[in-house]
Amino acid sequence: MAAENKKVKYKRYFDYSLLFIVLFMLGFGLVMVYSTSSYSASLTFDGDSGYYLKRQFISVFVGLFAMIVTTFIPYQIYSKLKWPAIFGAMGSILLILTPLGFTANGARRWLRFGPLSLQPAEICKFCIIIFTAALLNQMGPKVRSKWKGFWFPMVPTGIVCLMVYILTNDFSSAFVIGIIPLLMIMISEKNNRWPPVILLVIVAVAAVMILLVSKGWIPASLSFRLGRILAWLDPEAYADGKGMQVLQSLYGIGSGGIWGKGLGKSMQKLGFLPEAQNDMIFSIICEELGIVGGLSVMMMFIFLLWRIRDITAHSRDYFGNLLVAGVFTHIAVQVILNICVVTNTVPNTGIPLPLISYGGSSVIFLLAEIGIVMNVGRHAKFVEEEVDEQEDDQTSETD
Amino acid sequence: MAVRNQSREVAIRLGVMYIAVLLAFVGLGLKLIFITKENNDEYKQRILSQQAYDSKTLAAKRGEIIDCNGTILAASKENYDVILDVKMMLDADRENGNTDASNDTIRTLAQVFGLNEADIRRYVSEVPDSQYYVVKKGISYEEMSHFTVYTNKPSEENKDNSLYNKNITGVWFDKYYVRDYPQKTLASDVIGFSRSEGQASYGLEEYYNDILTGTPGRKYGFLSDEATVEVTTIPAVDGDTLVSTIDSNVQMIVEKYLRDFAEEYKDNARPGWGANNIGCIVMRANSGDILAMAGFPNFNLSNPDDLSILYTDEEIEAMVEEGTYRDACDALWKNFCISDTYEPGSVMKPFTVAMGLETGKLTGNESYNCTGSLMVADHEIHCHNTYGDGYLSVKGAVAKSCNVALMQMSKAIGPEVFLQYQNIFNLGLKTNIDLSGEARTERLVFNSSNLGESELATASFGQGFNVTMIQMCAGYAALVNGGYYYEPHVVSKILSPGGTVVKNIEPRLVKQIVSNSTSDKIIEYCNAVVTEGTGWRAKPGGYAIGGKTGTAETLPRGNGEYVLSFICHAPADNPEIICYVVIDRPNVLVQEDAKYATILTEKILREILPYLGIPMTEELTDKDIEELSELDLSVLTGRMEFPDEAGDGQANAPDPSIDLTVTDTDSSEGN
Repeated sequence: MAAENKKVKYKRYFDYSLLFIVLFMLGFGLVMVYSTSSYSASLTFDGDSGYYLKRQFISVFVGLFAMIVTTFIPYQIYSKLKWPAIFGAMGSILLILTPLGFTANGARRWLRFGPLSLQPAEICKFCIIIFTAALLNQMGPKVRSKWKGFWFPMVPTGIVCLMVYILTNDFSSAFVIGIIPLLMIMISEKNNRWPPVILLVIVAVAAVMILLVSKGWIPASLSFRLGRILAWLDPEAYADGKGMQVLQSLYGIGSGGIWGKGLGKSMQKLGFLPEAQNDMIFSIICEELGIVGGLSVMMMFIFLLWRIRDITAHSRDYFGNLLVAGVFTHIAVQVILNICVVTNTVPNTGIPLPLISYGGSSVIFLLAEIGIVMNVGRHAKFVEEEVDEQEDDQTSETD
Repeated sequence: MAVRNQSREVAIRLGVMYIAVLLAFVGLGLKLIFITKENNDEYKQRILSQQAYDSKTLAAKRGEIIDCNGTILAASKENYDVILDVKMMLDADRENGNTDASNDTIRTLAQVFGLNEADIRRYVSEVPDSQYYVVKKGISYEEMSHFTVYTNKPSEENKDNSLYNKNITGVWFDKYYVRDYPQKTLASDVIGFSRSEGQASYGLEEYYNDILTGTPGRKYGFLSDEATVEVTTIPAVDGDTLVSTIDSNVQMIVEKYLRDFAEEYKDNARPGWGANNIGCIVMRANSGDILAMAGFPNFNLSNPDDLSILYTDEEIEAMVEEGTYRDACDALWKNFCISDTYEPGSVMKPFTVAMGLETGKLTGNESYNCTGSLMVADHEIHCHNTYGDGYLSVKGAVAKSCNVALMQMSKAIGPEVFLQYQNIFNLGLKTNIDLSGEARTERLVFNSSNLGESELATASFGQGFNVTMIQMCAGYAALVNGGYYYEPHVVSKILSPGGTVVKNIEPRLVKQIVSNSTSDKIIEYCNAVVTEGTGWRAKPGGYAIGGKTGTAETLPRGNGEYVLSFICHAPADNPEIICYVVIDRPNVLVQEDAKYATILTEKILREILPYLGIPMTEELTDKDIEELSELDLSVLTGRMEFPDEAGDGQANAPDPSIDLTVTDTDSSEGN
């Protein structure tokens, strides 16, 4: 690399504001997990109202440890790990079929190692970011702008998506796993026109499906996911079934008002809103803290994404930037989808709110990803002119 | 440099994406605001209404209705539905990793409640998410306890519960009350019925619904400050118990003879029962306590929709189709004794005479010549006896029930006094008996604008206006008890669920309608009805009684249909009991004959007077002794079935073999 030829001093860089917002959101998330889950936990676990809080606290602790580790692992290592990453992703899903696989809430989506359980879908999201970034980095601009630059990363990705969808019956995870590389390719190379085309195709197919189902030309009974489309279009009509969760979510948001009912005072969490501490936590936030609370959470994500994006502005490494772009995409897609679901903007599908929702695997791997982002940030350089000017004044270190 | 450009491009494109994300956030933020602004109040209410759903109402037990001896006429029984929470049971299976919970639960359910195990299993496999599967409905507490021995954890008192099975999961019992009428048809018109909690139709059940219903309790959970669930229970307050003045033995005797009459003349002159309606009231003369009030046809309180007493299945089906079924039900359920109005006929005569005596328009020493008819305002109004009764005293006129004499008396009385006394006698007004459904007769009696000369004449013998049985009964009681008008009533006491007295309902003296001396004269005249007049058949052996017959022609006149009645008091000189029998259009060829009513009265009195402990006043003839010994004393032995808390064997229950010898010198007063 060019930098190694010259003896250049790098400014020591660590994004404390990124660290701060992440810790703040984790803390806020723990408070909200306790608020939303204490009632149902005390019912389910013999009065142990802190059951979910304790488990989430352990997960956050493990996740922070993972974040520290990845913060100090030089990210360049990942560029050599594309095949381990993609096969690791596939392998983790195949483990579901072994006795390690674990069923909860009627779906076989977990791996169990003693007291720990992991969701392979979250491992896959982590791996697919590394895989795509490494592959795109290796291909070079000419290949990247061609059809091969599209299908080459997308085929293994597609296989992982299908495995997640078929083996764990988890549509939303498969969708997120598929959309991250697609957006990463789009960001990586302006001349590759396939990602936007495919995105448009996806949108068109979805629109046609919605039209067909809503007109009754495709019987919704074919799949429960089609039924969710009908429930999305008219949740009141399906209030006892598929529309129930989203309708309860809307009740929660709508009843909160501007300032909310006050922390801990949600009524919807008392058994009316399923998955209140998980996919539907944003609805309870709006109910308890009101519009102000909901918008504040969105502001936190805006700030978080801004800090993440800002690292790419300082980093001069293409691979590092791709990694950051992958993490950015991952968080942005999940936040938007999650809020879209709770506000009934898209049909109901289960996606946790990053860093805030209950869910160990999600928070552990997200924190690991943020650790990678921080590591990229540690290697980021300020523009050369500045470095040259300030070279003598700064306490610097050589890379 | 190419590398560096590319990394910059990534940063730029990511920046573009960041802006796209920002736009998405703006859109979602607006949507949030929109949801809140549009639906804030509505969603708040929805949430609150869901909360209410979470709390549980605890049913209050409806109070009992018991008769004056403590016999239960109506009571609420605890019943349970067996509920299986299929989901909970299967969850337990999943947690344990075996099928012990579902196996043991289903097997025990099937065993204890005698159900088919395969049926339950089929339901469980079809609806594994069900949390409210009604396995069996309406079991008793005892039946429930056969199951709970398997689920009650061994406790201090019950250490060696070897039957306890910890695998049984998800079974619970939903408690509710059902109304039970152990006496079935007895006093059906008086009691009325309640089919669902808080709802009641007819009779005491409806009139005292608020007192019987009690206050339902409530159980609800809420989240305390420590975010734990607190369950608060406001217990249900059970309803109060009504102690009725009805004596089910008297009631039973009365109903037995009403039914006998209905069956004796069944399909006699026309298809159907022995009369359209038969009613009988037995009342205490000096308090207004109703001892028995019966109507025939009656119905089964436990199954009021059963109209088979009046109609065949085909007729019922036809009525359902025509939409007249409800009306037919209402007609059967209403209480003939208080809800039906009719022209009283000659039973009115003592009232008319009392008006005259009380106002001095009559002295009691007048005499009248009956030639069989009288011209009143160009109408020739016939007497009962078209050949004429000849010369009659006032007493004779009542005894022979002479219309001509009464018409002359009413002429002397005049319309003003008649109307005044119509009101004093409470005719046209409600008696305010404590039963629901008492008819309003205010428009069915005369007023100053329609009481002409001929109307006044016919009104003197009870035609041209309508009354209810209870009005006549209460009025007649006052005429013969010294003039004291008591409000008739059916409830004497209200008890709390624990048995303490909440309220004593004392006899309510409303007014004095005639003086003692007038009352004495009416007694004398009415006694003559039985000793030398139209009511001789009503005299039971051993008792002197007084009364008045009634034979009222129904509208349109000349159709040959009559309402026959007999009202009487016993004993003759010191009235204690009033008994009034009305036979609405008897099923006989010639209806104009009061004997049907007097014979029926005699049968009832013969049995109830000894039962009520009224001392005999006369020597029994051989025929009387024979009749009394033939009496079916099932009612008296039947009393033994009832709990007899006093343990004194009901001292006033007569032993006829002893009473037969009782004599009284104060026998038939000669005329």
